[in-house]
Amino acid sequence: MLHASARAEPGDLDAAVDVPAGTCLAVAGPSGAGKTTLVRVIAGLHRPLTGRVEVGGTTWLDSASKTDLPPERRRCGVVFQDHALFGHMSALDNVAYGSHDRRGAHDLLERFGLAAREHAKPRELSGGERQRVALARALARAPQVLLLDEPLSALDATTRASATRELQAVLADLAVPSLLVTHDFAEAALIGDRVAVLDGGRIVQEGMAAELAARPASAFIADFTGAVVLYGSARSVADGLTEIALDGGGTLVSVHPGAGRVAVTLYPWEISLEPADTALHATSARNRLAARVTSVTEVGGRVRVGLDAGQPLAAEVTAPAARELGLAPGVLVAATFKAAATRVVPG
Amino acid sequence: MRANKLGAALAIASLGLTGCGGDALEGKRPELRVGAATSLKSALTEYAGAFGQAGVRLSFAGSDELTAQAASGAPIDVLLVADPGLLDRAGAIEARTVFATNALVIAVPAGSDEVRSYRDLSRPGIRVASGSQRSPIGRYTRRFLDALPAPERAAIARNIRTEEPDAAGVVGKVTVKAVDAGIVYASDVTTSQGRLEAIPIPGDLGPGVAYGAAVLRRTSHPDEARAFVAGLRGQAGTAALQRAGLQRP
Amino acid sequence: MSAVSPFRVVAAGALALLVAFLALPVVAIFVEQSPGELIGALDDPGALDALWLSLQTSLAAVVILVVVGTPAAWLLATRRFRGHALLVTVLELPLVLPPAVAGIALLACFSADGLLPTGNLLVLQTAGVIVALTFVAAPFYLRAAQAAFESVDRSWLDASRTLGAGEARTFARIAIPAALPGLIAGVALGWGRALGEFGATLMFAGSFRGITQTAPLAIYERFGTDFTGALALSAVLIVLSAALLLTVKSGVARLGTR
Repeated sequence: MLHASARAEPGDLDAAVDVPAGTCLAVAGPSGAGKTTLVRVIAGLHRPLTGRVEVGGTTWLDSASKTDLPPERRRCGVVFQDHALFGHMSALDNVAYGSHDRRGAHDLLERFGLAAREHAKPRELSGGERQRVALARALARAPQVLLLDEPLSALDATTRASATRELQAVLADLAVPSLLVTHDFAEAALIGDRVAVLDGGRIVQEGMAAELAARPASAFIADFTGAVVLYGSARSVADGLTEIALDGGGTLVSVHPGAGRVAVTLYPWEISLEPADTALHATSARNRLAARVTSVTEVGGRVRVGLDAGQPLAAEVTAPAARELGLAPGVLVAATFKAAATRVVPG
Repeated sequence: MRANKLGAALAIASLGLTGCGGDALEGKRPELRVGAATSLKSALTEYAGAFGQAGVRLSFAGSDELTAQAASGAPIDVLLVADPGLLDRAGAIEARTVFATNALVIAVPAGSDEVRSYRDLSRPGIRVASGSQRSPIGRYTRRFLDALPAPERAAIARNIRTEEPDAAGVVGKVTVKAVDAGIVYASDVTTSQGRLEAIPIPGDLGPGVAYGAAVLRRTSHPDEARAFVAGLRGQAGTAALQRAGLQRP
Repeated sequence: MSAVSPFRVVAAGALALLVAFLALPVVAIFVEQSPGELIGALDDPGALDALWLSLQTSLAAVVILVVVGTPAAWLLATRRFRGHALLVTVLELPLVLPPAVAGIALLACFSADGLLPTGNLLVLQTAGVIVALTFVAAPFYLRAAQAAFESVDRSWLDASRTLGAGEARTFARIAIPAALPGLIAGVALGWGRALGEFGATLMFAGSFRGITQTAPLAIYERFGTDFTGALALSAVLIVLSAALLLTVKSGVARLGTR
């Protein structure tokens, strides 16, 4: 269990998080929200004005009792934004730096599929390979908590997809709490078990990603937590399209390629709603999912409609439209959206 | 219009240029460039200031440095060195004169009683500063040491801690008490403003230190230069030299 | 074919002028004498003593600067505290002091009547030469070292700390290797400065063959009476300094491609 609460310089950070062992909390927020400060406070690289960091029963920081362990005394694994691999050392030496265990480091690199590159210097590795080395290095000392600071932002779009999947796999196997910070809510939704939105140094909402999308507490969160994530199995069909059989029922068509297990992200404002018993009509939107309304949240003139289509979903419509359609929990609707509005991520 | 302005500008410029060059123009005082040994500094400054026939620009340096510069064509009119023999190496000269003598003395910090006579120089543990053997002061020192019995000479040689490029360096080392004694010119002690005391070297041991002057043949002011050199042996020159601790030739 | 801009021509001219200005005097030293004269003058044991002393004392000064100056530069580079700017200015002072002033300052501090009761421990001793060289060469190394440490990626240092390495281990295993090219360049600069030092050495340590007469002092001594000897010794010193500079630069280049 990770507990971290901290108040740093006014305006910088004033938040508290609790992350149970084996789970990942994704802290999402715009630039300057204080995400990196949070990571640095937990890692011991920044001393807040007041704060408390407790990991697995050990107190790393407690301003009340003047406890403040230096970073090297905390068993904290950190993956930095630009990976921060030591350029003058090989991948193997990087991973073994903290653990002093070259055999263990080699095994770890092998697990990440990099055994063949273990003697390469960081500048000889690709972005994706560097990210894996950084992850391996952070895990090499069997840390009590894993922190990830924008771990995917340094990667190009193509690599990001496979890196996301690898990260998900690693975190699923992890027995300790992990905390990931990112400016990309979609990333947070994909990787985190729970998501907390950080804005102006404060946590403005926390919960499951779908919940935040369906019931945003403010217009800012509504804008920020746009992405909705659906899981399913994909296969290629005619005309270069991809058909995804969604978990929980329903099919979805996307213009983006994918095969096997995938996650599909789309934004609520790209989803239109109509009464479930509307007759099928010609429309360019290839997707139509039957869904039941689970919540209706008005946020500054817009309405977020929480839906259950076998998986949680959220649509955004105008208040007048919501009134006209008589949207209320329990109402059956059809959610339509274009094949082009979807993004497919290997899941 | 433009031609007139151009002409005016040229005229003014040419006036300036000729002004730089010549004493040929009336009413322009010639300027002598004099290179002199550092030990002559106070004496020469006084004498040159009072020299009426020309303005004097003095520059002081070690005698051998000056000689080398003169030999390689440096633009000086008069050369004054602390070893008349050096004048032979200065190139084409004339009006060669020996205008002063100096004595070699042992300088000690004022109030010190480590060294009271030249005999003390050879005592174990005494630190001595000397001029480098390639400098005039060093050559004179060598002549003094050579006049001593061999064991005493060797003992003093063991006590020499530094061989300075010029007398000023020796004076400096004695003044900051880096050494107990240094072998310098009598004039150096006279001009030390009380910081140094002189211990005389007996006449038979002390080498004669003579200062030589010469006019460089290539000077553009031969008359003024010769007058300058001749004046050193005159009343004003001798007085200034004696006030600085130098003696008549 | 595009026309060459006038500015480009002017810049090239400036470069040519500068190269000529800096190279010609050096070339002149070699041209003014025959190789035979050059080698012959090295038979002078005093000249060899001076070169050997120069090498020893400059090396000692460099070692002192590296051992003491590297951690100091590290602290300056990684911490900001009150008086930081003032400290840096103090450390840079020898840069703007004329060597003669440096010599006087050292005398005022370390001589028999000076500020510190060192008596004559340093004055006119080889140790005094090393002190003078260290004094004048210090800012050359310190500035380069500080800049080198400042350019080390801070996230590397953070990463090292989170991986269990304390400040000392981070300094030794991460900061120094990462800053090494800059540190070596600083060594080259400092060493060059120490090799060429003249004024402060003469005033503070005097000039005595084998004890305190370094190569520049020996050159000055020969200047008046033995110009050939001075030329020869100068030529050797130039070759030595150039060799030093080239070795360091190639060492840095090799490090860069590691």
